[in-house]
Amino acid sequence: MSSPVPQIRSRVPRIAEEAFERARLTVVPRRRTRAARMPFVALVSMVLVGGVVGLLLFNTSMQQASFAATALEGQSTTLAARQQMLEMELDRLRDPQRIAGAAQRLGMVQACAPAFIKLGSGEVVGEPCPAVASPFPIWPAEPKLPPELNPAPNVVEVTADPVVTRDDSADTAAGDAANGARDGRKNQQHQQSQQNHQR
Amino acid sequence: MRQTRPPRGSRRGTPQVRLRAGFVVIAMVLSVFGARLVQLQGVDPNSYAAMAAAEGLVEVDLPAERGDILDRNGKALADSVDGLMIVADPLMTAEKAPEIARFLYRELDVDYATTLNRLREEGSRYEYIARRVPATKANQVIAAAEKAKYKGLYTQHDPLRDYPVGDVAANLVGFLGTDEPLAGLERTFDDQLSGTDGSARYEVGAGNRIPLGENTVTDPVDGQDLQTTIDLDLQWYTQRVLRQTVQAAGGDSGFAVVMDTRTGEILAEADHPTFDANFPTESPKADLGSRALQDVYEPGSVEKVLTLSALIDLGLMTPRTQLVVPPSLQREDSPIGDWFDHGTIRLTLAGVLAKSSNIGTVLAADHFKAGQLHEYLSRFGLGQRTDIGVRGETDGLLPAPGEWTHQMQDRIAFGQSLSVNGVQMAAAVNTIANGGVRVSPSLIMGSATTDEGDVVGTDTTTERRVISEEAARQTMLMMERVVDPEAGVAPGAAVPGYRVAGKTGTAQAVGEECACYDGTFTVSFAGFAPADDPKFTVYVVVKNPRNGGGGGSVAGPAFSKIMAYALKRYAVPPTGTRPSRLPVEW
Repeated sequence: MSSPVPQIRSRVPRIAEEAFERARLTVVPRRRTRAARMPFVALVSMVLVGGVVGLLLFNTSMQQASFAATALEGQSTTLAARQQMLEMELDRLRDPQRIAGAAQRLGMVQACAPAFIKLGSGEVVGEPCPAVASPFPIWPAEPKLPPELNPAPNVVEVTADPVVTRDDSADTAAGDAANGARDGRKNQQHQQSQQNHQR
Repeated sequence: MRQTRPPRGSRRGTPQVRLRAGFVVIAMVLSVFGARLVQLQGVDPNSYAAMAAAEGLVEVDLPAERGDILDRNGKALADSVDGLMIVADPLMTAEKAPEIARFLYRELDVDYATTLNRLREEGSRYEYIARRVPATKANQVIAAAEKAKYKGLYTQHDPLRDYPVGDVAANLVGFLGTDEPLAGLERTFDDQLSGTDGSARYEVGAGNRIPLGENTVTDPVDGQDLQTTIDLDLQWYTQRVLRQTVQAAGGDSGFAVVMDTRTGEILAEADHPTFDANFPTESPKADLGSRALQDVYEPGSVEKVLTLSALIDLGLMTPRTQLVVPPSLQREDSPIGDWFDHGTIRLTLAGVLAKSSNIGTVLAADHFKAGQLHEYLSRFGLGQRTDIGVRGETDGLLPAPGEWTHQMQDRIAFGQSLSVNGVQMAAAVNTIANGGVRVSPSLIMGSATTDEGDVVGTDTTTERRVISEEAARQTMLMMERVVDPEAGVAPGAAVPGYRVAGKTGTAQAVGEECACYDGTFTVSFAGFAPADDPKFTVYVVVKNPRNGGGGGSVAGPAFSKIMAYALKRYAVPPTGTRPSRLPVEW
């Protein structure tokens, strides 16, 4: 480290030696400054912890929102269905058929041709006439069922004693009515077997 | 560069060695990944994709809501309700089947025995219990079932189509089958009504959508409402009056059309017999359509109105033109007679119409030059579909000019040898009411596109002048004489206090089997009121009445009732002018 300097010195004239000496570069002693580590570590951990907690909270709130959304969606579906039900009910209530039926039950009858009163002059336009009750069937006709739904009645002639044995329970009463024809046949057999027993 | 410091810890080896070792490790790891990738993607990718999808990924259809069919005031003729089907899993329900069946019978009014069998069906895991149950009701039932600890019942989407007015306008509206529309406007305008279903794919955890999970939603496009020109209340009343009329006359069937004179909008189009749109299978197939548009028939004397108005328009005759009507008229192939026996009588043209004389009409029609009557009748719209949006509409049958013979013209002049449909004929008579301008009838408010691609509705209404305004007025004055108690044949069609113009029709009907006149009749009445400022045109037709009645006595009173109701409903006051006093005889 010290060897090159004398060589230079020998070549350079000693005129401005003092200035030269002043301008010489020397190695500055290394200064070690230690920045305080604590604040940085604290900051980073805070950011980290904050981020994790924030993420957690965010996630939780999203989850909550999802629960709420599901619940609200269910509610909205229920309410929409209810609204449609009510609209359907309203449509049924304002069915002219129903209104006419209600009117007829109240004793109302059909009006005849209209007449008008001119409010200014009190003049009557048209021929006013009293409404008289005339038969007016308002209920829809029973449909004439197609043959598949309207089979010919199954008539079974029963020649049996007027012995009535009812072992049916009340539960199957509805079934009896529906399967009248079949039951009729069954009863016949039943009664015939009774006859055989009596013979 | 010269190594200034010896490396610390020589056990790590030189960097080159370390690098190589590192690369080897990385290559090994990557080849393991690569092998796994080939295994997953190359060998059987679909099963893994399916496994991934099954893991909490839900795919649901978002059904579009079907549009409503409305009347002119926005009242529903058909509407859609969110519905559910109730389905049972017999594996779970078999154990408690009788209790569940009783419960369902009470709640849903389903058949007990059938339900019991379904709940016990062996080897099945999916049985319908009830279909098209309103969602509110279905959810109540399921909640009650859960409360009673009945397992194995669940619901599925099953939209419900409701016809709140039952049989009212059912002939036009039609109905839906299980999956598709089967008839009427429901089918014709299905594209507009049905909309497009959407779908949603999302991941679910514990019944809730996972936020930030996969989530794709295609929103459904709901169907659009279809508004008709029908007036629900008037339609109901017309249907009931028509039914009463057909039944009282012992007829086979009938129809009635109520039309707004100025706009051509059809306010009511009733058919009898008809059906309940909620239960279409309970009625015979023949009753499921609209006879007014789908059946052809010979209009009979109502057509005389068109013939005579054409003669007046051509300037060949006036209502006072004097005609000598013999008891019978021998023409080419057969004698033409009148409906009433008479000697030689002297009628004016107005009298020919008022008394509905076939012979008088034929004599008057002799003044036409060849082709003129055909030209007029086709301008009145006969022989062409009205295209109002009802499927299966018939063209009617107006003989082409090439087939037109003189003896055919004799019969066509009084309404035989040509066929029409009800709305066609109503629109033709409406031309007289509307001052000689034929306005095309319409059933759809605004415009809509049929399944055949035609645009129909009030937006496409066309008008064309057929006869002059003066000719229309003269014809109207002649038609007024028809309902005159002394001069005319249909006093029953009068509406007290109003001037009414109309015309009866009693036509021989063509039988289906013999393709000839089978002795039955089609009776009808067409007219409009108030005669000097018409608001409505009403046309009533009854097929095969068995009480011996004609157009005046059967269809006339029905016309009167329907017209009186329409005038009252729309608050049309009488015009207060004096009715026509045209002479009928001379």
